[in-house]
Amino acid sequence: MGPLFPNGIITGEWDFVIALLLGIIFGFVLEASGFSSSRNITGVFYGYNFVVIRVFFTAVIVAMVGMLYFDYFGWLDLSKIFILPTFLSPMILGGVIMGVGFIMGGFCPGTSFTAIAIGKLDGLVFAIGLFLGIFVFSLSFPLFENFFVSGNMGNVTLTDVTGISAAWFAMAFTVVALAAFWGTSIIEKKIRKNMTEHTF
Amino acid sequence: MNINQSTDNEPKYINPYLGGVLLGLLVLITVFVTGRGLGASGAIKSTVVATAKVIMPATVKSNSYMNSVANSEHSPMYTWLVFESIGIFVGGLLSGIIFGRVKKFRIEHSPKISSKTRLWFALGGGMFFGFGSQFGRGCTSGAALCGTATFAFGGVIVLFAIFGTGYAVAYFFRKLWI
Amino acid sequence: MNRNYIYLTILMFILAVGTLVIKKANEPKQIEPQQLLFELIQPTRYVSTDQVAKMIIKNDPSLEIIDVRSAMEFNRFSLPRSVNVPLDSLLNNTSSYLGIAGTKVVFVSDNDIAADQAWVITKRLGVKSTYVMKGGLNQWMETIIDPKQPDPTEPYTAFETYAFRQGAQLYFTGSKAEAMESSKIKVEVQRKKKSGGASGGC
Repeated sequence: MGPLFPNGIITGEWDFVIALLLGIIFGFVLEASGFSSSRNITGVFYGYNFVVIRVFFTAVIVAMVGMLYFDYFGWLDLSKIFILPTFLSPMILGGVIMGVGFIMGGFCPGTSFTAIAIGKLDGLVFAIGLFLGIFVFSLSFPLFENFFVSGNMGNVTLTDVTGISAAWFAMAFTVVALAAFWGTSIIEKKIRKNMTEHTF
Repeated sequence: MNINQSTDNEPKYINPYLGGVLLGLLVLITVFVTGRGLGASGAIKSTVVATAKVIMPATVKSNSYMNSVANSEHSPMYTWLVFESIGIFVGGLLSGIIFGRVKKFRIEHSPKISSKTRLWFALGGGMFFGFGSQFGRGCTSGAALCGTATFAFGGVIVLFAIFGTGYAVAYFFRKLWI
Repeated sequence: MNRNYIYLTILMFILAVGTLVIKKANEPKQIEPQQLLFELIQPTRYVSTDQVAKMIIKNDPSLEIIDVRSAMEFNRFSLPRSVNVPLDSLLNNTSSYLGIAGTKVVFVSDNDIAADQAWVITKRLGVKSTYVMKGGLNQWMETIIDPKQPDPTEPYTAFETYAFRQGAQLYFTGSKAEAMESSKIKVEVQRKKKSGGASGGC
């Protein structure tokens, strides 16, 4: 049955309505979980607030495991969904740059939108920064055009790269995530002892 | 266990695991409906191209990166991710209203730094993030979250690169946050 | 609160383990397309009618002949020791025949088209040591049941093959007593094979 768009079950006109609806849910969940506060988000790097680990990894394992069950029940054809293409070296560099940006700005693009929504100027400035960053990138694109497309591996999945079935990865992520949830709650307790404030 | 004075002032967020499950289901539904994941940086890229098209049309034409987006008959803003990002804003607003977090404009920062410092670093962080997201083919939501959830190799690479770097450099920026 | 988290942890873990179980039942493990293509172009996936005849005569226990024609055709004529698994039911009831360590599965049909299909299907599923009888039963009829005497100008090996085929013809069409003769010829065949191997090395 699914995915609905690529299989032509839902057609073009509904596209943007659905985009808006899914976006609203996305924004709602992000804000309600506390991602509209940069100090909550960066707590993950200093050990006083692991909300990012909890929300993010719960989402990843629920989606991963759900994906496999959807595939099994025939609801979702995993061969038809979009797989992010892999460009090995540009992606590693991009991730490193984003990591630095993350710790400096305290937001990621999606969360900065929700921060703007509740009136945080730092979120707004971060979004302006995003705009400028992409603007600079686009203008200077000819300089690193070759690097940008280097290490192209195509739209590969973990299974394509390693030969290990997706279920094992779902399993591994789940085990690591569950262990991290328990481990981080202990770390959090210890670090919070010395702090008067830890949730913002 | 330990009585914390600030607990009463703390904002009421939903249980993070509940948030995670909801977010995971949302990713699942998004993939189920659209065949691709959520995203946020793509919308800003569209905005950049749309802006550039107005203020410097000649540059856009000669720039292969922007031209590939600008070349369609519709405006670059007429894309799925732009509408989805408007949704993120609206959703954040809704949640903020419901939980009483929509207040007057304010800047959140550690007591150790001034508002001005916070804003400069937010701007710099945003620039880094925007720049990197183009190399990473997506940001935390598009590449790291949805990429990993769909078992894409690139998604996992971006995920570990972002968080790995975050932990590696966290020490140098600790004054900003704690 | 803590107890709820323990339950949730266990639930999530069970769900994740569940994906391992369902995956196995749902999707049979398949070999890589490159591997399949590589094996597809290997001439070694074919066995000649002579080789099959030899193995039947020797009563080779590792040989397993699977006839992929329909049951009707199978009843009309079939090779000794062959089992009938029509092509369309190949995926349903082959588990008992395929993938047994130390056996060579030879697919047989009228020509080698249907047998080739069976080979590809089973190969994709990763079944090892499967072969196709080159030329199928038509070739069998021509070479084993009704062998042609080679031209006098043909090389010595052709006569050796012919001698073997005559013996095999007697084995497959004649009485049991004559089968004794074929065991003598069997030795010749082995010699022939050796010389063939040497010439291949040149």
